[in-house]
Amino acid sequence: MAEAVRVYEYSPYKDVYVVELDDGSTRLATKNLVPGRRVYDEWLFKFGDVEYREWNTYRSKLAAALLKGIKELSICRGDKVLYLGAGSGTTASHVSDIVGLEGRVYAVEFAPRVMRELITVAEERINLIPILADARFPHRYRYLVETVDGIYCDVAQPEQASLVILNAKYFLKSGGYLYLAIKARSIDVTKEPDEIYRREIETLKRGGFEVIDVIHLDPFDKDHAMVYAKYVR
Amino acid sequence: MRLFLTDTAIGAFAVDENGNVVLKVVAPNDINKLVERSLSIENDVPTEEFKKLVNDLITTYGKDLEVVVETEGYAKYLNELGLKTTLQFGNDVILRFRSELPKYAVESGFISSSEEYKNFVHMLALAVTRSKLRVVAQKRDLLAIQAIRAIDDIDKVFNLFASRLREWYSIHFPELDDLVKEHVDYARIVSEIGSREDINEKNLRKLGFSEGRAKRIISAAERSLGAELSEYDIEPIQTLANIMLELNNLRDGLTQYLSSLMKEVAPNITELVGPLLGARLLSLAGSLETLAKLPASTIQVLGAEKALFRALRTGGKPPKHGVIFQYPEIHKAPRWQRGKIARSLATKLAIAAKADYFTGRFIADKLKKALEERINEIKTLYAKPPPKTAKPERRRTQKTRK
Repeated sequence: MAEAVRVYEYSPYKDVYVVELDDGSTRLATKNLVPGRRVYDEWLFKFGDVEYREWNTYRSKLAAALLKGIKELSICRGDKVLYLGAGSGTTASHVSDIVGLEGRVYAVEFAPRVMRELITVAEERINLIPILADARFPHRYRYLVETVDGIYCDVAQPEQASLVILNAKYFLKSGGYLYLAIKARSIDVTKEPDEIYRREIETLKRGGFEVIDVIHLDPFDKDHAMVYAKYVR
Repeated sequence: MRLFLTDTAIGAFAVDENGNVVLKVVAPNDINKLVERSLSIENDVPTEEFKKLVNDLITTYGKDLEVVVETEGYAKYLNELGLKTTLQFGNDVILRFRSELPKYAVESGFISSSEEYKNFVHMLALAVTRSKLRVVAQKRDLLAIQAIRAIDDIDKVFNLFASRLREWYSIHFPELDDLVKEHVDYARIVSEIGSREDINEKNLRKLGFSEGRAKRIISAAERSLGAELSEYDIEPIQTLANIMLELNNLRDGLTQYLSSLMKEVAPNITELVGPLLGARLLSLAGSLETLAKLPASTIQVLGAEKALFRALRTGGKPPKHGVIFQYPEIHKAPRWQRGKIARSLATKLAIAAKADYFTGRFIADKLKKALEERINEIKTLYAKPPPKTAKPERRRTQKTRK
């Protein structure tokens, strides 16, 4: 196991760190909210009194988007985030690390099979709120979720954009942010977005979102792009 | 007057256009009731608290009230009461209200601090999600039953193979049989090392043997009276040992799978007696449903049917325990206490099974505490064996059927 020799914040992003290892390689990481515990097969590094958790850029689209230089990471300490499509909690756990104990992540996932894994992650993380529900029907979890600062969405659904808009209407504050992972087949999406992808962005704009940045996640994730947008009510 | 109505995790609220709470009905802070009403909201069915809120509103403001709600089910309910209802989701008033939900939770006295709200929302979400998973988990009790049967099958086959392996390898190295009692360790030596000439301290230590044991095995190997075997003859023995080790891995994997499965299918039973014994009870009953419908007296002797029916037939003494004998507190206890503990455990299991099947509530912590208290009581009250009395005369037996 490699040792961490240097840790610094991954400017300009807050609460995301770069860990330099003694073998010369570097890893993206977040401060582990629950020291000693792993969520997937990531590495844990101890540096000083703080434990950092490797953020695998091949497993997490948000990490890939940061490494590819997305404009801003609006998710910060104390934020309330609505996370649609939390899966087994890989990225959600890092978002939970970033928002810290003052923040909250409402993790919506529809598939019972992965929810079983997510629930074990959530048991240890008090700021991770698991919700077994279909993100297409936000009224079903309206009784639990507060108004949030941002939405992170990674659902493998064709109607992603309209689903995000519906959730935003229910829960997203004005000026709130959105990170949306979109499946996009073409490599250079900014120049030649394929049909589905363009339609999704259009829908977002009509739904009140102002698209700020689009980053293709190649080579970490060949088929996806990350859209960063702001919501205006 | 126009009011915005909303049903939340902590109760039902009526908010006016300026965002002031006009009226509220706070839900009782009881986890099981909260889960129930959460599920009700999810299914778009107005909760008790909401109905009371509407009732109170009508008595205060009369029927010419104008109300705004977010879902069809709630709108329908209000329409039927004759209120002027608008369906509008994502309106500013409710949004603002929702952003201060923790504050209202404290203000309404539902919880004492916003710090506590964190724990509350986390706990509620976990409980709701678990209860929903359990509904999805229907029929998963059958999976648990097959898994425990597979584990028992593996144990049988493993023991059968183990005695074969010992007999077979003893032709070559008979002294090892007595030196290594653990089947898995024995199989490891055969599989990893093979011929007794290759046994040395290094590879034994690698297999996890202590220095003393390793030395004893080595000296036995040097003075062994067993026959010399060629590699050709040892190979098939090693194949058998390999399969045994694989079976052992399979068993470990299945055990892990079973314990997560059981936590989902029958959390109360699992908490009380552990996943393996819990699954055996399910297996003997046939399903969680049948187990939930069994009386405690039957659960007590599940797995001892043969002894029970013999006793019924001959009028002899009935068995004190069936498979629940595997519960450590029973088999570790002195003989005269076992029946009492078994009875007590069986009653708690009957309650746990009913909770698991019907309500899905988690009550095992209370059951466990009550059981522990009773066991301690038994241990102090019946610390000494009962005085021996003359054997009571056997009841006249009816003619036994041949």
